[in-house]
Amino acid sequence: MATFLRLLGFLRPYKKGVISSSLLAIAAMGMTVLIPLMIGKGIDSINAGDTPGLQTFAIVVVVAAILRLALTVYRRLIAGQVSLGIELDLRNQVYAHLQEMELGFFDRNQTGQLMSRVTVDLQAVRFFLGYGLIFMMQSALTIIFASVAMIILQPGLAALSLLPVPLVVWVAFRYGTQARPAQQEVQQRIGELTAEVEENISGVRVVKAFAREARQRERFDNQVDRVFDQSMIATKLAAFYNPLIGFLPQLGLAVILFFGGRMVIDGTIQLGEFTAFYTYLLMLLGPMRILGVSLGMAQRATASGARLFEVLDRDPRITSKPGAPDLPAGNGHVQFEGVTLRYEGANEPALHDVSIDIPAGRTVALVGATGSGKTSLVQLIPRLYDVESGRVLVDGVDVRDVDARSLRREIAVVNDDPFLFSATIAHNIAYAHPEASREAIELAAERAQATSFIERLPDGFETRVGERGLTLSGGQRQRLAIARAFLADPRILILDDATSAVDASTEREIKDALREVMAGRTTFIIAHRLSTISLADEIVVLEDGELIAHGSHDELLEASELYRKIVEKGLPDQVFLTLNPLEREVAPL
Amino acid sequence: MSQRDQKKNEGDEKLSFRADVRRRLRGTSGRGRKIRILLGYLKPYRARVFMMFGALVLAVAGSLAPAPLATLAIDEGIQKDNLTALNWIVVAFVASALIAWVMTYVQTYLTGWVGQRLLQDLRRQIFAHLQKMPVAFYERRPAGVLISRMTNDVEALDSLVTDSVVTLFQASLTLIGTIVILLWLDVQLALITFLIFPVMMIASLLFRIASADAYRRTRETIGSITAYLQETLSGVRVVRAFAQEERHHDEFSALNDTNRDANLTTVKLNAAYFPAVELMSAVATVAVLLIGGSQVIDGSLSVGVLVGFLAALNGFFDPIGQLSQLYTTYQSGMAALDKIFELLDEEPDMSERAQPVVLERLRGEISFEDVSFRYRTDKGTKFALQDVDLHIPPGQTVALVGATGAGKSTFAKLVARFYDPSDGRVLVDGVDLRDVSLDSLRSQMGIVPQEGFLFSGTIGENIAFGRPDASGEEIAAAAQAVGADGFIARLQDQYDTEVGERGVQLSAGQRQLVAFARALIADPRILILDEATANVDLHTEDRIEDGLRRLLAGRTAIVIAHRLSTIRRAGRIVVLDQGSIVEQGTHDELMAAEGAYWGLFQDWQRQAAA
Repeated sequence: MATFLRLLGFLRPYKKGVISSSLLAIAAMGMTVLIPLMIGKGIDSINAGDTPGLQTFAIVVVVAAILRLALTVYRRLIAGQVSLGIELDLRNQVYAHLQEMELGFFDRNQTGQLMSRVTVDLQAVRFFLGYGLIFMMQSALTIIFASVAMIILQPGLAALSLLPVPLVVWVAFRYGTQARPAQQEVQQRIGELTAEVEENISGVRVVKAFAREARQRERFDNQVDRVFDQSMIATKLAAFYNPLIGFLPQLGLAVILFFGGRMVIDGTIQLGEFTAFYTYLLMLLGPMRILGVSLGMAQRATASGARLFEVLDRDPRITSKPGAPDLPAGNGHVQFEGVTLRYEGANEPALHDVSIDIPAGRTVALVGATGSGKTSLVQLIPRLYDVESGRVLVDGVDVRDVDARSLRREIAVVNDDPFLFSATIAHNIAYAHPEASREAIELAAERAQATSFIERLPDGFETRVGERGLTLSGGQRQRLAIARAFLADPRILILDDATSAVDASTEREIKDALREVMAGRTTFIIAHRLSTISLADEIVVLEDGELIAHGSHDELLEASELYRKIVEKGLPDQVFLTLNPLEREVAPL
Repeated sequence: MSQRDQKKNEGDEKLSFRADVRRRLRGTSGRGRKIRILLGYLKPYRARVFMMFGALVLAVAGSLAPAPLATLAIDEGIQKDNLTALNWIVVAFVASALIAWVMTYVQTYLTGWVGQRLLQDLRRQIFAHLQKMPVAFYERRPAGVLISRMTNDVEALDSLVTDSVVTLFQASLTLIGTIVILLWLDVQLALITFLIFPVMMIASLLFRIASADAYRRTRETIGSITAYLQETLSGVRVVRAFAQEERHHDEFSALNDTNRDANLTTVKLNAAYFPAVELMSAVATVAVLLIGGSQVIDGSLSVGVLVGFLAALNGFFDPIGQLSQLYTTYQSGMAALDKIFELLDEEPDMSERAQPVVLERLRGEISFEDVSFRYRTDKGTKFALQDVDLHIPPGQTVALVGATGAGKSTFAKLVARFYDPSDGRVLVDGVDLRDVSLDSLRSQMGIVPQEGFLFSGTIGENIAFGRPDASGEEIAAAAQAVGADGFIARLQDQYDTEVGERGVQLSAGQRQLVAFARALIADPRILILDEATANVDLHTEDRIEDGLRRLLAGRTAIVIAHRLSTIRRAGRIVVLDQGSIVEQGTHDELMAAEGAYWGLFQDWQRQAAA
C-alpha cells in the first residue's frame, strides 16, 4: 500500500491534468448514463403515443452523445499527455540515477535485469497511472451512477439485477491475478527455449562434429513441450474465466426479464422503465470487466513500482563529497598506502595491504596470474571502487576528497577488448571531448597508428562502428581506444592487457602507438607478455591480492621466483603465431 | 523467332504481368502457398479443428439469442400478459447464456490447443531444418537472425493463429447473425442501420492504417531507447572512466522525447477514433428510436421489436471494430510467415549421397588431392586453399603453421567435411568424403575447437556429449586421462556440477580440459584441434599440455598450432601461406632449411626477447 501511495506521488506534477481529466470523465459518464434514461423515456412516449415527446428525447440523446464525444476526446488527450509525461519523467529519473551508481552496483546487477526495470516495470507503472487509474474511476462511476439510477427507478428490481456486478468484478480481478503469473511463466519458458536455440546455433560446429543432431533435437523438443504445457495452463485459465465473465451479467438480464416482466404486467412499472433497466445492465457489461482488469493493473503496477523503487532508493555508494575541489594540478604521482579492497559479497579481499609509490611519468607493468589483483589495483586510481582500508593518492590528494569527474578526466583506460559505442569512428575517438575539432581527432588517430586502416573503411572517419556487419578486429579496436585515450590527454594512463590476441605485425604497430601515448604520462600496464613488459620502467608482481615484488626487470629476475617462472614459462611460449581475431570470430572450427 | 515462340512469349509476359500485379496486391509472392502449407500442419488435428468450429458456431448462436428473446419476452409475454410464455422465454434466455458460456470454453480451449500445437510443430520443423544446414550456412548469418525466426516470428504467428482466426470467424458470424436478426426483426429499420456500416468500416480501416504507422514509430523509438540503454549499461565502465555521464543523460532524454512524441500521435488518433465510434452508435440508436418509435405510434411496429432491435445493435458495432483490427495482425503475422518460409525454403547446399558409404573403423589416413577451395563462388573471391596435395599416414600428428589467412582453419574444415572442396578430392582411408555418410565419418572424428564450447548441463553430460551412453566410470576415466579430474574433484557437485550457459561457470582453461575429455571419450580415429590461445593461468597451462599429449597418442591428428611446444612435438609441420603449402617437415628439418618456418621462428624470438 505504501508503494501504491508513493506511485500516486508521481502524479503530483500533473495535478491539473489529473483533476481536469477526472472532471471530464465524470461529465462524460453523466452523458452515458443520461442516454439510456432518455431512451427509456422515449419508449414511454412511444407507448403514450406522444410523438413530440419522442422527438425531444431523441434530440436530447443526440446532444448528449455529441457532448460525450467532445468530453471524451479531451479527456483522452489530457490523460494521454499525463501518462506519457509520467513515463518520460520516470525513465529519465531512473536513467540519471543509474548514471550515479558506482561500478560495484553493475557487477551485481545484470544488465538485462536493469533493462527490464527501465522498460517493462516502468511501462506497467505508466499504464496504470496514465490509463488504469482513470479506467478504474470511470468504471466505478458508471457502475455507481447506473446503480443509483436503477435504484431510483425501482429499488427491488435494481437490487436483484445488480447482484452479479460484484461477482463479475471479483472474477475479472481473480482472472487478472492468476493469468499474469501463468503468462509470465510462458514467457520464462520461451526464454529458456531461446537459450536452447542460441546454444545450438552458436555451438553448431560442436554438434555437427560429434554427430549429435538427434539428441539435440530431443532436448529441443523437450523445451517445446514445456512451452506447450504452460501455454495450455494459461489457455485453460482464459477459457474458464472469459466466458464466465460474459455469463454472469446475462443472469442479471434474465432476472430483469423474469421479475421486471411480471412488474410490467402487474403495472408496478412502465414498459419504458423496464427498457431503461435492461439497457442499463447492458451498458454495465463493459465497465464491470474493465474495473476488474484495472484492479489487476493496479496490483501489477504496485509490484513493478516496488522493483523500480528498489533501484531508485539504492543510494550511490561512490559519490564526490559536496563541494569537493577539483583534482589539483600535477603530473600524475600515484601512491597506494596500505590498500585493502574487498568486493561486496566476497569473503577474501581482492587486494590486501598493498603499498606502492609511483613517481610521476613512470611506466609500471603489473604482472601476475589471473585473479591476482592486477585489474583491481588499477581500478582504484579513477575511483571506480572504494578501498576498504588504506588510501589511494593522486598528486598528493586522497581520491575520495576530490570531485570524481575531475579525477577521471585526468585518467584514461585502454582495455584488451575495448568497448566502442555504435557511433562513427570520429565520435568514438572524440568520446572524452565531444567538441574536439576534426584536426584533433585525426591527429589522435595518426599518433595511435590508426589512420591507415580508418582511411580504408567505407566512410573513413564517418564510418559507423557495428553497422552493416562492419566488425573491427581486436587490434583495430585497440588502436581506436588508444586514439580515444590520446584525445583525452590524461595525466595517468591505464592499459589493461592491451596487446593480447593480435598478430606480430599488428602488435608492432600497437606498441609504437603505445610508446607515443605513454610519453610524459604515468602509465600502468597490465601485461601478459614479455614484449609488453619491456615497455615498463618498473614491474610490480602480484599474487593473490598481495604485492610480491617490485623493481626493474633485472632486479626481479634476481629477487622473485614467481617472476622468473613467468618469464621462463608463461609468457613467451603463449603465442607463437596467432590467428587473426577477426577470423576467429567468424570462422572458428 | 518463329510465330509460335513469339506467341508463347507474349503469353508468358501477360502471365508474369498478372502475377506481378497479384504479388503487389498481396505484398509478396506465394502467400497462398505458405498459408496452404501452414494449414497442412493442421491435418493431424482435423477432428479438433472441426469440433472447435462447431463450438464456435454454437457459442455465437448462444450469445446472439438474448436480443430476439428479449423481443419475444416483451411482445409475447409482457405485452400479452402471458406469464407462461415469459417463464419459458426466460428459461431459453438462461439456457442460451449457458450454451454460450460452455461452448466458448470449449472453443477457447481447443483453439489454444490446436494453435499451440501448430506453433510447436513449426518450431520443431525450423529446428530440424536448421540442423540439416551445413556449417557454411551459419557463417553467412548472424545467430540473432536465426534465433529470431524461432522466437519473435513464431510468436507473431501465435497471435495470428490463436486470436485472429477466432476473431475472424467469431466476429464475422456475430455480424452475419446480427444482420439476420435485425432483418428478421424489421427490414426497414435494419436497412437504415446498415447505412452506417460502410461509414464505420471505412473509418475503422483508415484508423488502422494510420495507427499502424504511428504504432510502428512508437515501437521503433522504444527500440532505440532499449538499444541505447543496453549499450550505455554494458559500456558503463567506459562511461565512468571518461566521466561522460551528463552527456549520455542528455542523449537519453532526447530519445525519450522522440518516443513521447511518437506516442502522442497514437494518443491523438485513439482520442479521435474511439469516441467517434461511440457517437456513431449513439446516432444509429437515435435514428432507430425516432423512426421505429414513430412506427410503434403508428401501430406498424411492436415495442418488443424496438427493444430487441436496440439490444441487438451492440452485436452490430463491436464486430466491425474487431474485424478492422485484424488487418494489422494479419500484416505482421504474414510478414513473420514470409521470413519463416524464406528459411524453410532454403535447401541445404551440401548433403549426403542417396546411398552413402558407411565407414568402418577408420585407420585414419587422410589425403588431399589437388584440393582448391574458396568460400564464395563469385568471381574475384580469393582461393582459401589452392592446389593442396598432402598425404597424412595413420597416426601422425600434423601441425599446421602459418600467418593469418594462410588457410589453416580451412584445411581442418575440409577434413571434417564442413565444406566440400571447390576442386580436387579429400579422402579418408581412400574414400572420397562426398561419398561417405556424415554420421559414420563424424562419429569417428574428434574436434576440439579453440574456445572450448560447452552446452548447458552438467560436466558429466558435456564429457559424454559424443557418446551419451557412456558410463560414469568411462566419464571419470576420460577426465582423468586428460588431467581434468583434479579440478572436477574440487567442485561441489563434481561431475554433476552445472556448467551454465556456454560453460560460463568454468574458467577458459577448465572448459578446454572438458573439451579434451569430450573428444577423448568419443575415441576418435582422427582428431582436429584448434589450439587455444586463451589466457590461462600457469598451473592450468601445464595440465593442458599433459592432457594434450595423452589425447594425441595413437590417433591421426591435425593441430592448428599456436604453442611452440606442440609444434615441436608434431610428427610433421606443414607451413601454409596464402592457401598453399610452402614447406613441410619436422622442426629440426625446417630450422635447418632456413626457409619460411625459420623466418617465422626468428620473428617470434625477436618479439619474445624485445
